[in-house]
Amino acid sequence: MGGAQARLSNRFMWFCMAPVIVFLIVVSLAPTIVAIVDSLRELSLTVFTKRGAFIGLENYRELLSEDAKFFTAISKTVMFVAVVVPFEFIFGLAIALYINHEFAGRRLLITLIMLPTMIAPVVVGMMWRYLLMPSFGLLTYYLQQMGFLAETTIFSDEFTAFAALMIIDIWEWTPFMMLIMLAGLTAMPQEPIEAAHLDGANAWQVLWHVQLSFLRPLIVFAVMFRAIEASKVFDTIYILTGGGPGNATETIAVFAFRTTFIKWDLGYGAAICLVLAFFSLVVAALFFKVTSRAQER
Amino acid sequence: MKRRHNPYLWSIPLALLLVVILVPYVWIVLASLKERADLLTVPPRWLFDVSFENYRQILSEKSFDTYLLNSLIIGCSSTALCVTVGTLAAYAFSRFKVPAGNHIFFYILATRLGPPVAYALPMYLVFFKLGLLNLQVGVILAHATFNLVLVVWMMKSFFDDVPREIEEAAYLDGCSPFQVFRMISLPLTYPGLVTVAIFVLIFSWNELLFALILSAGEMRTLTVMIPSLVLHTGTLWGQVAAASVLQSLPVLVFTFFIQKHLVRGLTFGAVKG
Repeated sequence: MGGAQARLSNRFMWFCMAPVIVFLIVVSLAPTIVAIVDSLRELSLTVFTKRGAFIGLENYRELLSEDAKFFTAISKTVMFVAVVVPFEFIFGLAIALYINHEFAGRRLLITLIMLPTMIAPVVVGMMWRYLLMPSFGLLTYYLQQMGFLAETTIFSDEFTAFAALMIIDIWEWTPFMMLIMLAGLTAMPQEPIEAAHLDGANAWQVLWHVQLSFLRPLIVFAVMFRAIEASKVFDTIYILTGGGPGNATETIAVFAFRTTFIKWDLGYGAAICLVLAFFSLVVAALFFKVTSRAQER
Repeated sequence: MKRRHNPYLWSIPLALLLVVILVPYVWIVLASLKERADLLTVPPRWLFDVSFENYRQILSEKSFDTYLLNSLIIGCSSTALCVTVGTLAAYAFSRFKVPAGNHIFFYILATRLGPPVAYALPMYLVFFKLGLLNLQVGVILAHATFNLVLVVWMMKSFFDDVPREIEEAAYLDGCSPFQVFRMISLPLTYPGLVTVAIFVLIFSWNELLFALILSAGEMRTLTVMIPSLVLHTGTLWGQVAAASVLQSLPVLVFTFFIQKHLVRGLTFGAVKG
């Protein structure tokens, strides 16, 4: 390519990049700057005295040193992620291994299995709310028939409410894990497995030493991806408990939402959001490293 | 794996799995066809007289069509915007050495990985100050931002698959970079582009938080409308069920058609399935 050609290419590259750069400035950079400014003010739409005076880092100080609810929300979120992701991974892997061969109707079966992941989380929440309704819900009824549930309603007890949300999340996202694991298993060369079988390895040994070690980069990616997504869980909680009873199921996203859009404390909310955004930048950097390494394979 | 097994024995656990997966959905489909008296019964009723009353009610009384239209407008606009902006960027990332390209890409990824609420509030503050909250612009921009990384990552991988030799031949024939993009690379990745667009559309269609925060009143989407049927006086379960079924059916149909690309789409293109 000559000099003129290179100049043309360069100009075309900027033609391609200009829209995305303008777009990011308008929708992301500018709002972030506005939020940074607002996070330094006391600004509330409900409390009359908080009318936008600048208070420096007061919002941050209060959030990071005094707000017990913030740290409760973080620990709830960590607990949620630590329970659901391993279950989703193990169930997903088990199902993937089970259906990892050709059979009639495989495509339809996979589509049906994917239903929980694909439909809107709002619909998932509503479905389960209907299933778990006190006395009239289908699941409540059969559970009571089998003697599992006493007269308590699931979502009024702190423990059962949180457990139910976890089970629903596992129901919703196990198919996603299955799909990724299935993709990895399908891409895997068959020779090492056959060789291991010929060497007298049993099914467990093949799974552990051959299949899982081949899948390892993908497993790291999938677990990390799901952990990030699970830490943001909002829709189903919003529908099913709204964070309650009390703040028993208030994960970090629900906490930020309640503070900002229920109590309308915008300045404080902005501080929360920026702290969360900062955390997620760190997580994103880690994730970026892992995935770019996985893509180089 | 060629394992010898009895296909009947093998399919029993699968059938159980399908029961666990499908019964909740089937139950809500049945609920949408029940009359009020059949909805809340002890024991739950599996057999009943089918009625389309709930569907009639959400259409005539709850202006379901308005929300449906809002969801469609927001979905299609944000998809068009996001796919246009994202595809151009993806081509640049695939073919040229973009200065600070890694940083820009990382920034795009970060907007998707963080909790939506952290990005919704800054946008809310801006739209609040500009007085644009009762328009759909906010939700459209938010959904386009949210899905940008998917478009960029997926389209980049599709462009990477286009052999360079084809493009170089076109350059030798005197095509400009724009012509090469417009007449060769873009048409070759067209099937991929359609898949990406369907994903963006589904994600926008299913999204709740941005739609909840950045729109108001008449401008609300289906995902915001469904929870609004939970009233203080009790939930209109028949109508919730009917709205849920209408909201989710198109998604299921599309899922079947893009099944081959589900892995790529659901991981924003990070895993090539």
